[in-house]
Amino acid sequence: MILLQSPSRYLLQILTNRLQNLDKGVELDCQFVEFNDVRYHIQASVKNSNVVLLSVSLPTPPPETEFVGGLPPGAIEAIKAAYGTMAQILDPPKDGYNLTLKLNLSKLPPDEEHKHALLVKVASIRQVVLGAPLQVVLKRLLSRTAAPDTNRPVALVHRPMESFFLIPQADKVTVIFPMQFNDSVDTTLATSFLQEFVEARRTAGLNNSPPCLWSPSPPQELNGIPAESLSANAGFVSFGMRLLLLIVILLFLLHLPVFIGAVIFSRHVEGRKLDRTVWSLSTFQAYVSYHVKCSEGFMHTRMRRRVESLIEALDRAKPGSADKQAQIAETRSFKRLSLNDGRRSLNSRR
Amino acid sequence: MDPAASRPAVVIDNGTGYTKMGFAGNVEPSFILPTVVAVNDTFVNQPRSASTKSSNWLTQFNAGVMADLDFYIGEEALAKSKSSSTYSLNYPIMHGQVDNWDAMERFWQQCIFSYLRCDPEDHYFLLTESPLTPPESREYTAEVMFETFNVPGLYIAVQPVLALAAGYTTSKCEMTGVVVDVGDGAAHVVPVADGYVIGSSIKPIPIAGSDITLFIQQLMRERGENVPAEDSFEVARNVKEMHCYTCSDIVKEFNKHDREPLKYIKHWRGTKPKTGAPYSCDIGYERFLGPEVFFNPEIYNSDFTTPLPDIIDRCIQSAPIDTRRALYKNVVLSGGSTMFKDFHRRLQRDLKKIVDTRILASDARLGGEIKSQPVEVNVVSHPIQKYAVWFGGSVLASTPEFFTACHTKAEYEEYGASICRTNPVFKGMF
Repeated sequence: MILLQSPSRYLLQILTNRLQNLDKGVELDCQFVEFNDVRYHIQASVKNSNVVLLSVSLPTPPPETEFVGGLPPGAIEAIKAAYGTMAQILDPPKDGYNLTLKLNLSKLPPDEEHKHALLVKVASIRQVVLGAPLQVVLKRLLSRTAAPDTNRPVALVHRPMESFFLIPQADKVTVIFPMQFNDSVDTTLATSFLQEFVEARRTAGLNNSPPCLWSPSPPQELNGIPAESLSANAGFVSFGMRLLLLIVILLFLLHLPVFIGAVIFSRHVEGRKLDRTVWSLSTFQAYVSYHVKCSEGFMHTRMRRRVESLIEALDRAKPGSADKQAQIAETRSFKRLSLNDGRRSLNSRR
Repeated sequence: MDPAASRPAVVIDNGTGYTKMGFAGNVEPSFILPTVVAVNDTFVNQPRSASTKSSNWLTQFNAGVMADLDFYIGEEALAKSKSSSTYSLNYPIMHGQVDNWDAMERFWQQCIFSYLRCDPEDHYFLLTESPLTPPESREYTAEVMFETFNVPGLYIAVQPVLALAAGYTTSKCEMTGVVVDVGDGAAHVVPVADGYVIGSSIKPIPIAGSDITLFIQQLMRERGENVPAEDSFEVARNVKEMHCYTCSDIVKEFNKHDREPLKYIKHWRGTKPKTGAPYSCDIGYERFLGPEVFFNPEIYNSDFTTPLPDIIDRCIQSAPIDTRRALYKNVVLSGGSTMFKDFHRRLQRDLKKIVDTRILASDARLGGEIKSQPVEVNVVSHPIQKYAVWFGGSVLASTPEFFTACHTKAEYEEYGASICRTNPVFKGMF
């Protein structure tokens, strides 16, 4: 519904099309932009139809975030782990981009299901690259090894010149988003949405989701961060990522001989869950802004309906309007005859 | 500088049948989707009894809110409406005009967020409208775009001008021409001089792509082809898109078909949607009779009998006299329903015939004293005809001047929706 999907629909469409028409091998060169200023440039030539060049540019990082060679830390390992031999990182990347991948379509796995899964993985490249540091931190939580220096906030870029913060601890990770909106209406809507969001967390059905807090001032965990990078006009949202499910899995691991089937199964779920968590956290701001736009559209629909009903009521209240309408209806019910029609009817009568 | 101006603009061409959308600067639109929204309206028509308790009301209200978010667009919408009965199809655009603004707003929302996946606050937008759009509809568009989506800038372009701009790059720098825009739901002949639309000479044609489909459907039904009734419109549309062509002479074409049926008669295979049983049917004369409707409309409809070449000729004759030669020289086709094979050849031949007859008549009247210069007639077709309007928009929106021509959010907030009321391309001449 109004959730943002992690694979880019257009990228997936291009790749599957390309794969289906490999022998035709048309020239391909297109650029597109996604939310949070992630840009893509995809190129392929007629000569070497198996090779597709995919360049990605990431949002400009603010000074407090750590970037290694134009990429978030851990990104290169994540790319290698996700794509294997199919993708090759070109160094240096194309001018103006942070990363250029050389995709070799002939190295895709032969069976359809795996092939599609890998293409979807390529299409969700922004999750792999931008979510890499987050993934590292969450994995550390899973293996319960504390980060070298705990309690120091880690800044991760999610929008151009804006970042969100992670505070990794041994048993939990706190994620803090400074929420920033350009429009005053948007800010109001977003604020009430976020308050509602926190409220909704308390209902019985969402017991397993991470606890969530909203505050108009920066929480004390962020004390060491310069004030200019904490500009927020819709407050701060923080999640305590304790991940109850992970603890359950650890309990399972202790009973290894008994629950072996269940462990593999739950691990599998957990792996996919981790991906989903990474995606929803790294696009939280986009999600909120999408939601705000939807609510505005929803309100407009309601307003339009209201105006229509009011106009109807006004029309009904106009004195004499009913008579007039009846008159119009009467005159229209007769077919206006022209001279020719009259003659024709005369002829037919004869 | 505005950071949004450094990103490519989003170009969305909403047609009656299909919507073309993508980013400026590309050659092809990213997505071509049927313009349709599948809405879950099971909650709308529910009777509201007065005796319901407050908690019950709340659940009903929540369900209503969820139903408001529960909708699909494009191919997904068509698939959903086929598989379940809770969704009903809603076509937001009828005959080139926006008919249902609620559905249109939802359609745009999905286009932007789930297909193009861009943040509307980051991009300038170029939307298109048909040449006969009322100013109120333009204001409404601006309202939706600026209020709901918060776009930084908006330009509402006129489709035929964009179709001309598409030819601008492929051949020569010419912004004068007649655009024959035949879409799925609306068709116009629009003369454009130096980029300005000659508003008084626009000629609408009451025959468009969907009429051709209906005609083919009717022909197949009358011949008793074995097509399931619920599928027949889709089959007719597919036949139109895949097998139809324009013939040069209808009588000769009938003879050709009768002499060599094996060569000309095609087959259509499908499965019945309800039972899943396979069926097949023949496609015969409708292959050339479909497009023939444009040249001999009387075979389809007795109310409108002016052939397309006549309309184009009348349109040019009603334009200012100093533009006519240039207009004859550049007749540009656009829209999916001009994609039939050899459509431009037939049109050029017929139009040339009309023009030559007129010149011969005037020469005869003058008694051969003054010889008039021959009039050059040229019907231009290019391979991207189907999305020529979108391509023109893409070309236009990638120029640096585009961003200065846009209506910005600041202007909207200062003056209101009336900034989009008039379109400058109509201001050249009246």
